[in-house]
Parts: sequence; C-alpha cells; structure tokens
Amino acid sequence: MELVTGEQFVKALALLAAGIAMGFGAVGPGIGEGFVGGKACEAIGKRPDEQALITKTMIIGQAISETTGIYALVVALILIFVVGG
Amino acid sequence: MDTMIFVVLGAGLSIGLGAIGSAIGEGYIAMNAIQALGRQPGASQKILRLMIIGQAITETAAIFALVMALVLLFGTDGSGTMKAVTYLSAGIAIGFGTIGSGFGAGLPGGSALKGMGRNPENSDVLTVQMIIGQAVTQTSTIFALTVSLILVTLTPEDSYVKMFAILGGAFAMGFGAIGPGIGDGIVAKNANEAVGRSPKHMGLLTRTMIIGQAITETTDIYSLVVALILIFVV
Repeated sequence: MELVTGEQFVKALALLAAGIAMGFGAVGPGIGEGFVGGKACEAIGKRPDEQALITKTMIIGQAISETTGIYALVVALILIFVVGG
Repeated sequence: MDTMIFVVLGAGLSIGLGAIGSAIGEGYIAMNAIQALGRQPGASQKILRLMIIGQAITETAAIFALVMALVLLFGTDGSGTMKAVTYLSAGIAIGFGTIGSGFGAGLPGGSALKGMGRNPENSDVLTVQMIIGQAVTQTSTIFALTVSLILVTLTPEDSYVKMFAILGGAFAMGFGAIGPGIGDGIVAKNANEAVGRSPKHMGLLTRTMIIGQAITETTDIYSLVVALILIFVV
C-alpha cells in the first residue's frame, strides 16, 4: 500500500462518515414510521369504515417522518460524490 | 496471521451483536404467552403452538448472524489488509443489522399471543397475521445478510480510500437496518392487536400493515443503496 496523502485521508474519512451518517440517520425514521403505521392499524381496527382517511393520514405522517432519513441520504451522497469523489 | 485477527473479530461481532435482538424478541413472546396462559389455561396447546412458531421465526435473525459467523470462521481463506477489512466489515454489517429485525419480529408475536389470551378461537387468523408481519420484518436482516455476503466474497483493489469506503458501507447497512426493523415490528404489533380484537377485519388490516411496513422500509433501502455505492462505485 502506497503512502497516504492528506487528500486521500480526507476522502477516506468522508466515505466512512457517509456510511455512519446514513446508518444512524436511518434509525430514527425507521422507528418513527413504525409508530405511525402501528397506530394507523390500531385506528382501522377500531373504525374500519374510516380506512381511506386513516390510510391517507398514515402516508402523510410517514412521509414527514421520512424527511430526516432523506436528509441523511442527501448528506451521505454529498460526502460520497462531492467530498470523497 | 493478521487477517485471522480480523476474521475472528468479525465473527465475534456478528454473533455477539446478532444475538441481542432475537433474544429480547423471543423473551417478549414468551412473556405474552405466559400472560395468555394465565387468562386462558384451557387453550394451553394452541398458545404453546403459537409461541413456538413465533419464536422460531424470531430466531431467523440470530441464525443469519450465526451462519455469517461460521462462514467467517471456516469459509474464509483470503489474506492481506484489504481482505481483513472486508471480513471485519461483514461482521459489523450482519451483527448490527440483525438487532432491529430480531427485536421487531418479537413484537407481533407478543401481540398475537395477547390476542390468544383474549379469545383462543382466533388462533388461525392470528397465526397467519403474525407470520406475515414477522416475514416482512425480516427484510432489513436480509439486506444486511446480502451486504455481508457480498463483503465476504469481495476482493477489493488495494487502496487506503477503498478500505474506509468498505467500512463505511458496513456501518451504513448495519446501523441502517436497526430502525426499520424495529419500526416494521411496531406496525405488525399493532396490526396483530387489532386483528385480535376484530378478526373479521383481517384483510383490511393486513393490507394497511403491509403498506405501513413498506413505507417504513424506505430508510432501509436508502441504507442499502448507500452501502452498495460505497462498496462498488467509490
């Protein structure tokens, strides 16, 4: 293995950071969306005739919970292609 | 010799971390089974059957981790720094990746048994709903297993940057699978509870559960994509 230059060092750590950003970034949205989906199932069990409304609200709620996951993805892609590219 | 150190470390991380989730999940199922038995001692056969099915499926994640640990210990013959890093990364990916699914799969099992405690007549409906929920919950573990197997067989170019990219890919997939695994489990848990209360709405509830779980999986898919980019593209 050749000698490590400063530029390579930055690139290498940026790529590691991208992995850590996406990895930890996915924990919260995953659990949060689970809560939304779970409560939607519970609500449909109680009021099955309101399923269209509940499903719509569930999807909106999950989409908003997802945003932080998308931030993590964007940051990871920036780290990979802009900093580490 | 140096490679062997990382192989052993990878195997240890794989099964050591991989055992956490499944063990908690199975404990949760057994806890609910005992509560159900307290309420319905007459239906002990059905409750025991559901408990064992639920625990067997919850075990999947830990079995994947065990298989990867054995593959690392006995199925690897590469040497050099880069191979050492891929073996360690494979252990990290599957070890952390199984925590979420293992714990998540326990949740629907527990609520299915809660439903049995309420009315043991619903045994068949609850079993089917539980199995669907648990099966979808395993998705994140399967992603982690895929990345892990790719890492074991990978022979990367010899470069300092690539080494960190592979390690980053393992962290992305490993940690990324924890949240969606637990989230899928929460969706399935509440769906199972609802089925236990009103079994006649099972079709509707299964549909909503699968939509909810599919959306919960998205962050897991982001992690998989980032991990594959880090492993293959960079």
